[in-house]
Amino acid sequence: MKNKNTLTLILFVSLILFLLAAFGSGLYAQPKTKSGVDKSKTVEAKAGDCAACHKDTKKLPDSHVATKDMPYDGCVVCHIPGEGNAGTLRGKLPGSHIHALKDVKCAQCHGKVKKPEPVQMSQCVTCHAPDNVAKKTANVKPNNPHDSPHYGKSADCNLCHHQHAKSEDYCAQCHSYKFIVP
Amino acid sequence: MKKDDQTDKRLSRRNFLKTAGSAAAVAGLAAGGIGISSTNAQAVGDALPKKWDETYDVVIVGSGFAGLAAAIEAKNAGAKDVVVLDKMPVHGGNSIINGGDFCAPGTKLQKENGVEDSPELMLKDMLKAGSYLNHPELARMVAYHAKEAIEWTESYLGARYTKLNYQGGHSVKRANGTINSSGSEVVNKQLAKARELGVVIQLRTKLVKFLSNNNGRIVGIEVRKNYKFPDESTGKTAFIKAKRAVVLSSGGFSRDLKLRQIEDPRLDERFESTNHPGATGEALLAACTANAMDVQMDWIQLGPWTSPDEKGFGDVPLFCEPLVGYGLMVNPQTGKRFFKETGNRKERADAIILVGHPVIIMGDSYAVNKQVVPGRLKGAMDNGAIKKFDTLEDIAGNYNIPLDVFLKEVSRWNSFVEKKQDDDFGCMIFKDARPTVVPPFYVARLWPKVHHTMGGLVIDKNAQVMGFDLKPVKGLFAAGEITGGVHGAVRLGGVAMADCIVFGRIAGTNAAKEKPWG
Repeated sequence: MKNKNTLTLILFVSLILFLLAAFGSGLYAQPKTKSGVDKSKTVEAKAGDCAACHKDTKKLPDSHVATKDMPYDGCVVCHIPGEGNAGTLRGKLPGSHIHALKDVKCAQCHGKVKKPEPVQMSQCVTCHAPDNVAKKTANVKPNNPHDSPHYGKSADCNLCHHQHAKSEDYCAQCHSYKFIVP
Repeated sequence: MKKDDQTDKRLSRRNFLKTAGSAAAVAGLAAGGIGISSTNAQAVGDALPKKWDETYDVVIVGSGFAGLAAAIEAKNAGAKDVVVLDKMPVHGGNSIINGGDFCAPGTKLQKENGVEDSPELMLKDMLKAGSYLNHPELARMVAYHAKEAIEWTESYLGARYTKLNYQGGHSVKRANGTINSSGSEVVNKQLAKARELGVVIQLRTKLVKFLSNNNGRIVGIEVRKNYKFPDESTGKTAFIKAKRAVVLSSGGFSRDLKLRQIEDPRLDERFESTNHPGATGEALLAACTANAMDVQMDWIQLGPWTSPDEKGFGDVPLFCEPLVGYGLMVNPQTGKRFFKETGNRKERADAIILVGHPVIIMGDSYAVNKQVVPGRLKGAMDNGAIKKFDTLEDIAGNYNIPLDVFLKEVSRWNSFVEKKQDDDFGCMIFKDARPTVVPPFYVARLWPKVHHTMGGLVIDKNAQVMGFDLKPVKGLFAAGEITGGVHGAVRLGGVAMADCIVFGRIAGTNAAKEKPWG
């Protein structure tokens, strides 16, 4: 009798463990994105059409002009580059959105695949040649972020410029340069 | 209650597997992986993976001076496949943010500057600073092979050294400074050479555990690939086979709050570190779990010259160090000096910790203009870590110092400077020092930061790691800050580079020569 009870319990525990393992890993296989973005829509959505992906989540203030059909050139009429954080899109939008606004499609970096993989720096430099990037930011104060004494011009773009998450100032681990990272 | 007890008993691992059969075993494995069985298996080796994901002759963990030196020399000693792993998204660890001072006796720069030096003298300095706790055989290896090591970085890698610097505690100027005042000059050239030789570099790959066979020989490691520091939930498990050996060169644990407090309970979150954020101790502890022995772990060096008002190493150390012997350090609470400004790193850091709050170092315009590099002064003034004041009264006001005591203390210091003798603390006062009277005055707050962990794994002069059974841990070599014993109680400035390159090269060569296990 006792043995039978034990066996039942053991089988029950095993079942739970099994379910946990199977279901647990299932969760990892299909991560839900933050802010409930419907990923299946993102490929064909227009870059300025926030609701196409973000659905009911409000991403822009009520006072913002309609962006649905706006190309990047339209954005920078108000968000004037080089006029500080408040005046530009820099640091406000994830990199992928700026790419999309400039009509760079997902497949241009990820390739035409069912399951897109993270993009390596070798892909970035096909458009953003390190020498050019370093030249472009040569006058950024207090130091050129694209030509450091540590990594020269070869620091991985993705240390700072994340495409599907908020970008970060990697230098800030040790320095207070307060770079605005697009 | 009784029934519960019985159930618990019957649910021991043995019964669990025996009675519940294969379904339970599968569920157990799926949920817990090899973790369930590893405790019992440890004594007779680890449960080895059925299939290794990758295989190399030599597997190196850490991509700083030591790891890359090991990779290059392993290749040169005939290892076919060599991989260097690093958990961080960048290579170089602390080496790539280090100041680029390489201490070696009898170098070209020393000759050009007319400095007489010898390996004996360097060894003497290292032992004295280390309170004679250094393992003499290891310290000797560094002192006697440092010159050969720096010349290897010059002639073989193309690294350039352009100035001879002085580091405290050395009898002579023997710090050969790289052309860009950074360790990156060496580490990036090492990386280029390693790549040229066909070494594989894998970033974002974290060592989880060493795997040993039945004889306790290290045969491979478990890692997490695509790991995103510091998120422990990231990365995919993989098993890497090391046919000949593993070289552990993953650095010290200055940023490991838990581990460093176990070793030195004073070093809690009040203390920042000059190190990169990945300088944590899990690789060292993983090695200990695989029978590697640790030594002198509680000798942890703090820099007494760092500022709480800027991040990391910062600019203030290069304001503070040139100023000692010209300006004074004051405890703002009492308005008085409290320690010999020219004391060594350890004495001064301990004195400030004893005070219990940040202290100030100050110099007048004469001393600062004479001693401090303008770029550094500007950097720290821009970030607010150094402040400028027109009067001593302003200083007292800003730092809440009792004014009368402070004014008296400054004039007392000035009287010592006049006679070149400090009656209170025996501070060395340099010949060209003058009383602190010329405004504006420059002031920085000081609070020590954790800088270097002298302790670590026990190695012999072949970089072979020793076990708790006092026998070699076969298949495991170590080099650099993760090892202990080279420096004893205090590592002198500029000796880390020498330590890493000397022992990194030895570790790589010997790892390549190890007989393959399978």
